[in-house]
Amino acid sequence: MNLNQLRYVIDESMTMISRRKAANAISIVIMGLSLLILGVFLLVTLNVQVVIDRASEEMRIYVYLRDGTDAAAARDIQMRLLRLEGVEEVVFVSRDEALSSFRATLGENKDMLEALESNPLPDAFRVKIKPEYIRSEYMAKLTGEAGKWAGVEEVRYGERWLARGEKLVKGFYLADLAIGVIIFLSVIFVIANTVRLTVLSRQKTIEVAKLIGATNAYIRIPFLVEGALQGAVASLLAVGLLAVIHLFVKRYLPGVLFLRGEVVAGFVVFCALLGAFGSYGAMRRFLKV
Amino acid sequence: MEQDQRTIVGVYHLSKTFGKHFSLHDINLQVANGEFVFLVGPSGAGKSTLLRMIYMDDVPSSGQVVVGPHVSTRMKRGTIPELRRRIGIVFQDFRLLDDKTIFENVALALKVAGAGPAEVKHQVTDILMRVGLYHKRYDFPHELSGGEQQRVAIARAVANRPSVLLADEPTGNLDPVVTRSILELLFKINAGGTAVLMATHDLDLVKSFGQRIIYVESGRVVKDKDMIYVGDLRERIAGSAVSEKADRLKDRDITGDGGHRR
Repeated sequence: MNLNQLRYVIDESMTMISRRKAANAISIVIMGLSLLILGVFLLVTLNVQVVIDRASEEMRIYVYLRDGTDAAAARDIQMRLLRLEGVEEVVFVSRDEALSSFRATLGENKDMLEALESNPLPDAFRVKIKPEYIRSEYMAKLTGEAGKWAGVEEVRYGERWLARGEKLVKGFYLADLAIGVIIFLSVIFVIANTVRLTVLSRQKTIEVAKLIGATNAYIRIPFLVEGALQGAVASLLAVGLLAVIHLFVKRYLPGVLFLRGEVVAGFVVFCALLGAFGSYGAMRRFLKV
Repeated sequence: MEQDQRTIVGVYHLSKTFGKHFSLHDINLQVANGEFVFLVGPSGAGKSTLLRMIYMDDVPSSGQVVVGPHVSTRMKRGTIPELRRRIGIVFQDFRLLDDKTIFENVALALKVAGAGPAEVKHQVTDILMRVGLYHKRYDFPHELSGGEQQRVAIARAVANRPSVLLADEPTGNLDPVVTRSILELLFKINAGGTAVLMATHDLDLVKSFGQRIIYVESGRVVKDKDMIYVGDLRERIAGSAVSEKADRLKDRDITGDGGHRR
């Protein structure tokens, strides 16, 4: 196909699309709304993920020392902790500091502590983990290991909280995947159907084009362009509507994030490819060239 | 199969069956470069089927069609467009695109062949002038008479300067006067060097022109080349007497190359 032909083919695609404005507009709106549902789910997932990640970054592991562990043994434990993979910082929290911070947390109820004859809290290390290591499996492995060391009484972290957060994010991802598959399939179906109607409405043109020596590519490209454009425009419509929803939600939840630019671009390109694919499928069934 | 350089269309032992029925049976015919041939036979004789085999819209059940360098038995699907640009095709029902202007209808043939915009404009203008419809270039097909539409269809068919023009009952929908003018146009195109193979059921129409006539009946070539048989054919069709024109033409060798080869 030479450049002239390519130009004619693109002209032809545009004419074809403009001739079927109503049908195209209807399918674009249907697809745009379907894709919007998916967009909303993706946006919620993104924000849940961000909230959980931020909270996880605040998470610390507490390594409580046995009563009577001396300073040398404590330092030894600190060094071993620092050598563990993923450990960023190890801070010693003496039993006195722990008590005073506990007292501070209790606030007005601090009198409760007056009943104590001695400080019941142990010395401890507060371990900060690098964000990328904050995952249930790794945390369990790390705490299991440190828990076996001599002089370590107990190792604790927010394991239940972390597991719940992870489960939540996983659930969202699975839901996105399921909804995504259904919606992408329906997009392919809608596009295939619109293109099928276009093919049927252009039987005569196709037949004539074949008789005067048009190549298959020359005949097919306009339909592929139609499908791809429909997919792209529908996804842009969905992104636009999603942006409006986002602006609205942001009034009440100022921290809510929008999809990143490259995610949006990828989404549009993917939908264009889906459109071309749906169109190709329709042509395989209805366009005998 | 190698064929004579002078032959543009060669059909060799071609048979076509649909189910158990023979539509075409052992057809042999050749059309020379620049020749004008009428393919005559009653409706259902297989003329259109034969033409479709020639422009390779359908494949023979056996036998072979050769058009220029294209051989049906060695044809790849991808080269059919190339073949179609060597052949101009005209139908009884014109097959113009109703949503395009006359200019655009003709231009389409050049566009699919990849001509540049300037060439398209120049060529279409030239062809429309030759068929006498340049002044109607911005009209749509439905605004034209049947004869004018057929002229546009012919213009489109010859836009790529094909070596052969296939016409399937091109005058079937037209009145006698217009028919005459369409035939004149086809002769004019033929005079420019394009071979023409025109199918028609109307022997009375074509017998007076002195061109080679191939007669097809029930899927067989029953008479070819020699005009002496025209009278027999007329008897077959209408049971009438030998026409004097056929008599006059009886020993003439239309092909000019001494006949046809296998």
